[in-house]
Amino acid sequence: MEEFYNYLSDSLSKSEIDQLSKFLVEKRIGKGEILLQAGSVCNHSFFVEEGLLRSFSIDKQGKEHVIQFAPENWIISDRSSLLFQEPSEFFIDAVENTTLIMFDEEFVVKASELSAKYRSFNQKALNNHIRHQQRRINRLLSATAEERYLNFIQLYPNITLRVPQWMIASYLGITPESLSRVRKELARKNFIPG
Amino acid sequence: MSTKNIEFVIPPRPAHFVGDGFKVHNFIPSSHYLSMQRMSPFIMMDYNAPTYFPPTNTPRGVGVHPHRGFETVTIAYKGKVAHHDSSGNSGIIEPGEVQWMTAASGILHKEYHEKKFSEEGGDFQMVQLWVNLPAKDKMSQPKYQGLTKSDIQTVILPNNAGTINVIAGDYLGTKGAASTFTPIYLLDGKLNDGGIANFTFPSNYNTAVLVIEGEVKVNNSEVTPTDHFILMNNDGENFTVEGIGNAKILVLSGEPINEPIAAQGPFVMNTREEIMQAIQDYNIGKFGFLED
Repeated sequence: MEEFYNYLSDSLSKSEIDQLSKFLVEKRIGKGEILLQAGSVCNHSFFVEEGLLRSFSIDKQGKEHVIQFAPENWIISDRSSLLFQEPSEFFIDAVENTTLIMFDEEFVVKASELSAKYRSFNQKALNNHIRHQQRRINRLLSATAEERYLNFIQLYPNITLRVPQWMIASYLGITPESLSRVRKELARKNFIPG
Repeated sequence: MSTKNIEFVIPPRPAHFVGDGFKVHNFIPSSHYLSMQRMSPFIMMDYNAPTYFPPTNTPRGVGVHPHRGFETVTIAYKGKVAHHDSSGNSGIIEPGEVQWMTAASGILHKEYHEKKFSEEGGDFQMVQLWVNLPAKDKMSQPKYQGLTKSDIQTVILPNNAGTINVIAGDYLGTKGAASTFTPIYLLDGKLNDGGIANFTFPSNYNTAVLVIEGEVKVNNSEVTPTDHFILMNNDGENFTVEGIGNAKILVLSGEPINEPIAAQGPFVMNTREEIMQAIQDYNIGKFGFLED
């Protein structure tokens, strides 16, 4: 719980966190275990203490499309399913053995009642999430494979060591061969990330 | 010359999977007594004790991953591993063979059970070691030594005691097959019941014996069972290993590299900055290319 408590400590006091702890569940899951199945309703958000989760969809041809990676200190969920209580289009599973904190909307409601600071913190987190999603849509529509990849390694600098190449390619919406070409070209240019 | 005594006998930790093809007991560095510094230049040791893998059409293993700053040494006892790397090297490591890959400035590689072995299934048994490189060699060119049975000389011990295959260093005047950056001994021994092998290494060399099969007595002390790791003290030069029943051992000894270690995942360097550089270089394709 230590990392999650740190994450909350900017907006909630120690005693407020203690009052809310009954809404939190710590869980350890093994690599490959599934937290959310497409077609079912998502009732929780997952904060990663240690390990790596991802969300993805599977298309009609059976191909996986990675939506998001969640390494340490990230939260992953399906907000549309969570907030509108509709069946999810997504899966969430563990890319590595993971320790996570599960919380539901009751936690968010209670924390918001307790603390105005948490309300604004949560609002900001939601707005940040929307900003991230809009930029991601725009990049998938308009950016080159190289631009998408450079943005990816800025957002997730260490994940390239933790996931197979095809998963990165899937996140970027390109083929593994294109990802190889992008890296080859960056190495050829002796690219130095800013 | 004085006796090198046992410091600790370390039992195997619970096995975990590396990828889906290697079920290993890690000794170095996760055992309490076996930090990278304590066992330098041996900075990682995974032991896949004999494990049966059922037949499959999809070979099990570990996908593409990078290394920088050290060497990986794979010793095959049972089963076969196919290997490919970004320098264009590939091959199959068969029982009795050793792959000595110098990652140095950076390499991508992947390791899978060999196709036919996967299809037929069978027992699998391997050791993988990481051997550190001194700072001056960490950014040298990657290289690859595939050591076959005919490359590895065998010393026949007197009194029908057994045999020693000299992978690196030397034993009773027979030179090892591998070329190494710092002084290293790596000896693959087979002892018959009651057979005794004598070993002599400089006292400051970090030294250990892994019991691969059967049971042994070191310096005529208590019996050490299979899968246990015998850490030798740095107090002397000589020790003996006796087979209790037929036994197989792996003896490792090396001159410590007394330099700072900064390690993260597949990179082992001297400073944090060099680790960050390795991640950045990997991300921008400087380790070369290899398909999953």
